[in-house]
Amino acid sequence: MRRYVGKRLLQLIPILIGITLLSFGLMHLASMDAVDVRYEKQGTVVSEEVKAQIREELNLDKPFLVQYGLWLKGVVTGDMGVSYISGKPVFETFITKLPATIALTLTSILLTIVVSIPLGILAAVKQNRPLDYLIRFGSFIGNSLPNFFVSLLLIYFLALKLGVFPVISGGGWNSIVLPTLTLSIAMSAKYIRQVRATVLEELSKDYVTGARSRGVRERVILYKNVLRSSLFTIVTLLALSIGSLLGGTAIVESIFMWDGVGKMAVDAITMRDYPIIQTYVIWMAVIYVLVNLITDIVYCFLDPRIRLEQGEGI
Amino acid sequence: MLAERKGGRPLRGRSRILAAVLSTVLSISMLYGCGSGKDGGSASSNTGEKVFNYGTTAYGVAMENVGLDPHDTYSGWSTLRYGVGETLFKFNEKMELEPWLATDYEQVDEYTLKIHLRDDVNFTSGNKMTGEAVKACLEDLITRHDRAPEDLKIESITAEGQSVIIKSKEKVPALIHYLCDPYGAIIDMEAGVSEDKNVSGTGPYIAENVTDTEINLVANKNYWGGTPKVDRVNVKSITDGDTLTMAMQNGEIDAAQGLPYVSLKLFQNNESFSISSCDTSRVYQAAINFKTPVLQDEKVREAIAMGIDKEGFTTVLLDGNGTAATGPFPANFTFGKDAVSAPAYDPQGARELLSQAGWKDTDGDGYVDKDGKPLEIRWLTYTSRQELPLLAESVQATLKAIGIKVIVNATDNYNEYLKKGEFDIYAKAIVTAPTGDPQYYFTTHLLDSSSYNSGNYHSDKVEELTEQLRNEYDMEKRSQLAIQIEQQILDDHAFIYASHLKMSFVMKKGIGGFEAHPSDYYEITADLDIIQ
Repeated sequence: MRRYVGKRLLQLIPILIGITLLSFGLMHLASMDAVDVRYEKQGTVVSEEVKAQIREELNLDKPFLVQYGLWLKGVVTGDMGVSYISGKPVFETFITKLPATIALTLTSILLTIVVSIPLGILAAVKQNRPLDYLIRFGSFIGNSLPNFFVSLLLIYFLALKLGVFPVISGGGWNSIVLPTLTLSIAMSAKYIRQVRATVLEELSKDYVTGARSRGVRERVILYKNVLRSSLFTIVTLLALSIGSLLGGTAIVESIFMWDGVGKMAVDAITMRDYPIIQTYVIWMAVIYVLVNLITDIVYCFLDPRIRLEQGEGI
Repeated sequence: MLAERKGGRPLRGRSRILAAVLSTVLSISMLYGCGSGKDGGSASSNTGEKVFNYGTTAYGVAMENVGLDPHDTYSGWSTLRYGVGETLFKFNEKMELEPWLATDYEQVDEYTLKIHLRDDVNFTSGNKMTGEAVKACLEDLITRHDRAPEDLKIESITAEGQSVIIKSKEKVPALIHYLCDPYGAIIDMEAGVSEDKNVSGTGPYIAENVTDTEINLVANKNYWGGTPKVDRVNVKSITDGDTLTMAMQNGEIDAAQGLPYVSLKLFQNNESFSISSCDTSRVYQAAINFKTPVLQDEKVREAIAMGIDKEGFTTVLLDGNGTAATGPFPANFTFGKDAVSAPAYDPQGARELLSQAGWKDTDGDGYVDKDGKPLEIRWLTYTSRQELPLLAESVQATLKAIGIKVIVNATDNYNEYLKKGEFDIYAKAIVTAPTGDPQYYFTTHLLDSSSYNSGNYHSDKVEELTEQLRNEYDMEKRSQLAIQIEQQILDDHAFIYASHLKMSFVMKKGIGGFEAHPSDYYEITADLDIIQ
């Protein structure tokens, strides 16, 4: 196991170099750099001399590979650089935004699990009955609505009309309810259908028929066998969702004024703030590698027949 | 069938438990939520303090004005807007200069300016604002700021008691105007700039907490201009227009800046709210590319100018949230809108002009042509200003009516097209007089040496008049020169000025002393009040 984890972590190095080089290159394809964007956005103008001086200070006048090399050298020595826009150390900026994103990820995932697994199972067990149709209809609606629209609907009804939650995040714990609901509605809608399909598939397998013929209680079959087998699909889905949520949800963060890494990344992209973008890219690569690694380890616990050492997990 | 029948009872039990858990969670959430749904908004808090909550789209990382250090890019806008700092001189509503931290100034010679300071001003650090303190602040400004050294061209600063003497490297007739730029906010350099970019200014409010998304201010009880009427001000960055609208409707904020045009209607003619609006010098302009052969014909340029319905654009597409422009400056400037004239919207006259230039619709396709080629205009613009794509659509429709085909290219990669010259008209938004003086716009956009003369416009007369302006210190004569230059570019049909941005503040009824200002610099002042 240790060897496997070590090997997977080592794989991070080429992944990080490749992905940061790629993102660096893509950013430099744009015709405007951070200096152009700064002044154009404000609608004010400065001379080319001033721009050239700022480019020199930010090393933006150097060839692409030199810029990348300087950035990489800084990262290796623990210096993620300074934001072109705020002038603050990138690592510090990033760390201050991270707790909000992690909190939102955890609450959204928890609510999604609490809602989608029971409803998915219920829909499967009540297949083609009114309750199944109702759950599927709800899931269909949840899937169809984009996050920004759900956000606005929730604000309109729960904050504006009923006054039970604030429109803007005031720092209190109740500020997290509406963004959590927004993210969970879309995820739950997707998960319910997946759980339902997986449970239905398991219910049709021979081992279930065998268990029933041996007189095993339906509840035992469902919770001890079917649900356990279905967990592979659920864990895979969760891994993808956690990775995505930890990357921040820019639209939801903007609408609810939730100060997380998603909004920070979008602002950085708009302003061509390369050091922030690169740090975000590293973060995304690391979380996806780690989440996938943890998923593989979880698979191993769910089914001890899986040997991580032999290959690539599942 | 067996599964459903057998599984029915136990599952119903489970689902009941789950339902109970979910209901409990939701109920608790709602109960807790009830306690704070509208707490944010506040005309006055439980302690009897007057608290003003202000939501704005104009503060944040993407606006490059985070923090209150005026010597850092555009952060001075926050210093000034939120009442933390003040400049030596300020603009009144007609954009004329008025003393603020200074009492007056003398132009000793063409390169030397002596500014006399008020004697009753203390920084919030407790230190007195002296000539030495102002000198230290201005020296730090020209050392650290990106634009200030080029604008001010300062050679040396000397302090003499409550005066400072500024010597310039070159003639800078608009030096006092430049010192009104938010970067000119005077701060105490002895107190310095904190890690979170907080400063000690001279304004009516002191920042207690400064983050990327919020600034919390408390009244400066020792303010030289009188005691502020509101005890606390919370400035919140709300970047989403719909959220801002609903926070205003919900009463979580007392005033909002930057509401989407479509939302403003909700607050107009509403007895619970009032709106303060004014025109700013941000103009939506279209620069003609003089390298395009077709546009070298003055009649064609004039026809285009006559074929654009500015009133229709501002009243219909901008829903009244803009004012049709004539020249680059709005009417509240002495050299603004009413001082110059431009061709009026006249589709019939435009068609006649095109006809005189040889452009006629010979094939009946609705577009004029000449020598077998249709008259097509590549209209380049970008999307980050919501008004620009609307302007492009408006122009496309009205120019079609006179037989000109407009091909809109609305892209945020517009620089690439500008560099390659792949455009016929380039429309953009520009603040033409951030310091109330016209020279800045002329020197950056109209001359052969201008970095932003995208259309390669050249006029000997404009070059000559701008040179005179550079050497003219008399404000009245500067205005007259500005009017002549503006009229020349309008007569040459080199630029079309579509609209001036109208800035609006929406506030709860009962909020006083909170008015939109044409400079866009002054928002929170000691006059701000919440009348219960």
